[in-house]
Amino acid sequence: MKQPRNILLVDDEEEFLETTSLRLRRRSFEVRTATRWSEAMPEVEAGWPHVVVLDVMLPDVDGMECLRRIKDLRRHLPVVMLTGHASLQASLWGLEHGASDYCLKPIELDELIEKIIIAYQDAGGSS
Amino acid sequence: MFKYLAKLFSPRARLGPEALQSAFREHYRNFRALLTANNNALELMSAAEEMLHSGKPFGMAFVGGDLTALTVNVYKMVRSLIALSDGRYKELEDRFKVIADRIEMIRSRQPEVSGSAFILTMDEIDCRAVDQVGAKMANLGEMRNRLGLRVPEGFAVTVTAALHFMEASHISDEINRRLQTLDVEDLKALYKVSADIENLIRNAPLPADLDRLIREHADALARGASGPATVSLRSSAWGEDSRPGSFAGQYRTRLGVAIADIPETYKDIVAGKYRSQAIVYRQQRGYRHQDVLMCVGCLVMVDAVTSGVCFSRPPDDPRSPWVVIHAAPGLGNHIVDGSSAYDLLRVSREPPRQVVQVETATGLRDDACLSLEHARELAEVSLRIEEHFGSPQDIEWAVDRNGRLVILQARPSGASAAPGTDRESAAATELPLLSGGAVASRGVAAGEVCKVGSADDVLRFPRNAVLVVETPYPEWAVLINRAVAVVSESGQMATHLATVAREFGVPALFDLPGAMSRLENGQMVTVDATGRRVYEGRIDALLAAAPHRPNLMEGSPIHALLKEALTHITPLHLTEPDSPHFKPASCRSLHDITRFCHEKALAEMLKLGRRYGSRDKSAKQLYVVGMPSQWWVVNLEDGFRDGADLSGHFIRIEDICSEPMRAIWQGMTALPWQGPPPVSLRGFGSIVAQSAMNPQLDPAVRSSMSGRNYFLVSRNYCNLSVRLGYHFALAEASFSELLSESYVNFSFQGGAADERRRRRRVRLLADILGEMGFRVDLKGDSLSARIEKRPVAYLRERLMVLGYLLIHTRQMDMVMHDDARVDQFVAKLHADIRMIRDNMSADSGVDNETTSQHPAG
Repeated sequence: MKQPRNILLVDDEEEFLETTSLRLRRRSFEVRTATRWSEAMPEVEAGWPHVVVLDVMLPDVDGMECLRRIKDLRRHLPVVMLTGHASLQASLWGLEHGASDYCLKPIELDELIEKIIIAYQDAGGSS
Repeated sequence: MFKYLAKLFSPRARLGPEALQSAFREHYRNFRALLTANNNALELMSAAEEMLHSGKPFGMAFVGGDLTALTVNVYKMVRSLIALSDGRYKELEDRFKVIADRIEMIRSRQPEVSGSAFILTMDEIDCRAVDQVGAKMANLGEMRNRLGLRVPEGFAVTVTAALHFMEASHISDEINRRLQTLDVEDLKALYKVSADIENLIRNAPLPADLDRLIREHADALARGASGPATVSLRSSAWGEDSRPGSFAGQYRTRLGVAIADIPETYKDIVAGKYRSQAIVYRQQRGYRHQDVLMCVGCLVMVDAVTSGVCFSRPPDDPRSPWVVIHAAPGLGNHIVDGSSAYDLLRVSREPPRQVVQVETATGLRDDACLSLEHARELAEVSLRIEEHFGSPQDIEWAVDRNGRLVILQARPSGASAAPGTDRESAAATELPLLSGGAVASRGVAAGEVCKVGSADDVLRFPRNAVLVVETPYPEWAVLINRAVAVVSESGQMATHLATVAREFGVPALFDLPGAMSRLENGQMVTVDATGRRVYEGRIDALLAAAPHRPNLMEGSPIHALLKEALTHITPLHLTEPDSPHFKPASCRSLHDITRFCHEKALAEMLKLGRRYGSRDKSAKQLYVVGMPSQWWVVNLEDGFRDGADLSGHFIRIEDICSEPMRAIWQGMTALPWQGPPPVSLRGFGSIVAQSAMNPQLDPAVRSSMSGRNYFLVSRNYCNLSVRLGYHFALAEASFSELLSESYVNFSFQGGAADERRRRRRVRLLADILGEMGFRVDLKGDSLSARIEKRPVAYLRERLMVLGYLLIHTRQMDMVMHDDARVDQFVAKLHADIRMIRDNMSADSGVDNETTSQHPAG
């Protein structure tokens, strides 16, 4: 099975971005980070990420809208929602609009990696 | 998409094998996703059930996390099934949303707040105002207005005001986010989150209307006072229930506040809801943070000569004939904070109210800071309060410059959570390291000593240690779930820390000078708080008699919430797939939905296999050594060997390369179905022939499609549903490098016997599976068992045993009525299983050609 390599983390918590990207890099992933949609958009447009890990609350565009925009740009790009808010509405909305999974922080690194890999393989592993 | 697939699979469709294969693969992908979500959902359900009954504390982070993940997984199942069935079960989505909405409503239910006033003055407050001003202020008003007792003048800022403040400042979401991701076991993180949230609240501006109202009332207080007035601001938590001892010392009190500083200090008291010990306390006692709101009492400072605490009955002795008074000079929280020496007075409860005992800080009776007249008056008042509220009371009081008794607070004192009897504490013959002191909370516990004097010490405090301190500050309550016992050099049972210790059933022995110097960090000690002794080492005789810690979660708001939510989650109403009620509209719980999805997905896959089976050569009857069996195999993806002959109706076992299926099949055919002698696996061929011919391998009932025996396979996956006689069993296994996709599931429902025998049979199965490392869940006569996140070799061995059990458990029925034969049979089962396990390494495949392991060198 093909493995995803390029991961885009989108989250407004700098601390989370820092620790998570560090740990993902240690597991041989290429990681880029964005704290807002305006930073994430160019990466998505350029087709760099294999998987996006997306928070639900962003400062400029909310995560739900962000998901919609990602899907508009690249319909098959797998997106894993990861958030500190346990919200049923948001989770169902996310899945309906093409999110591969919806998980809650705190999440163990191994679990996150599995979600990333599964999302990628389910999407056909071709992005 | 659905239309496309529908067209694809309509009987008239003429598609090339490649298009078919890719459509099938899409279905298979959905099917696998559904099964994974099913496993996750069932696991999350049992995790919630387990937590509910464990007695362990859990917070909304667990509940919210579990329920959200559960709902997400069930929703994934629904969507997968709809895709899999080309849209046929669309209405299931609506059904799901109805149930999910109910659960969400329970989870996010906000406390109902009554009243619209932001501020009530003391003359407007009595017990009926408890829903607006919290218990502490309501009781104070009640004593003033119903009992005619003297209490400080002032006003209360209501729960409505607190909500208004939080809503206007838009910080609730941020607070919830921080709490959701907080692990309360991580004390360092706890301190940080607590400080961050408190600052968020302190820095949020008060809404202008509330700010103005508070200032108006503050100015009115200042005008009414003679001389320069200062006030005390006290928390009066809203949402505490009547359970005893609640919230002692968890929040904040500010004394001597200038009138102009009242609005800022108000925010400080509201922020006190998130002090670290309050967060731990709520977590331990099952309160949602949003269930507790901060009302604040703003009261004119009493110019006190003497103040203290009075118990109408001591909390550790419900039959005591005395009122117990703790008194210290001046005003302060010194007594409840444990930070000052005090005088102790006992007054008889029966008239005439004799002061029967006086112990002073100096040791001289005449030095008592409270006059005997005041002591008698206080005892009298405390008994009136007790009578009025209907339970023993814990009362804070003061005597002012004019000699008037003022009541500052009253609350139920509660019983010791571990009452115990006045047993002989002579069980230990050893000499104690320390003895004497004051019983703050009864009980006995043993652990290693850990002395704490600073926040750094708190962070280093290990689980299950004995907390040893110089002064019992309320702040040490963050350790109450880690400490097995508390020993303090000073303090007594009136301190907040003692109240919390009693509530949590943690033995506590206070007022023990020299404890800090006599006890060494890491030293194992037994604290007998009841007997007022500390021993070196573990004294098992003493520990054996100690009562268990109370279950603090049972009946708490979060416990009740989870319990209610689970009524829409776990009950299973859809049990019989052949029943006309087995339809989306009948689904009343998430469990029903998972059951429905699972059953229908299986049926869809079988149908799909049959629909283009002969063309695609995916569904085959199994052919073993010279004769067809009654087992069918559906190739989901890559379960048939490349180059296998698929032109006919049959598939040979040698041509199947599904590792999990081969393991099950090996177990099924490892031994003849009855009677000794066990045959070596080396002579496998003859056994297979024998097994294939024997009636046990022949499905007895084929009434419906789902009753047929199908293996659904891919290289690393197998799903086997079996109806043998009246048993229904389902075995499912997935081998993967990904831990969450590596598992064995087994469920079994037995019929054809009376209930007692059925139960006995599943219990026997449960025992065997339990020994094999399965996590087993028994409900009535149905069993489910699961193993996950294990290496493939480990899972393979379990699958072989499952295969063996599937074939051989039916024999159990024949012997179940005869105890002696049951024992014999069980012994044989165990012997067979041992043999299968022993042989596994010797012979790991059906034949060498398709074995994944190389012959041992």
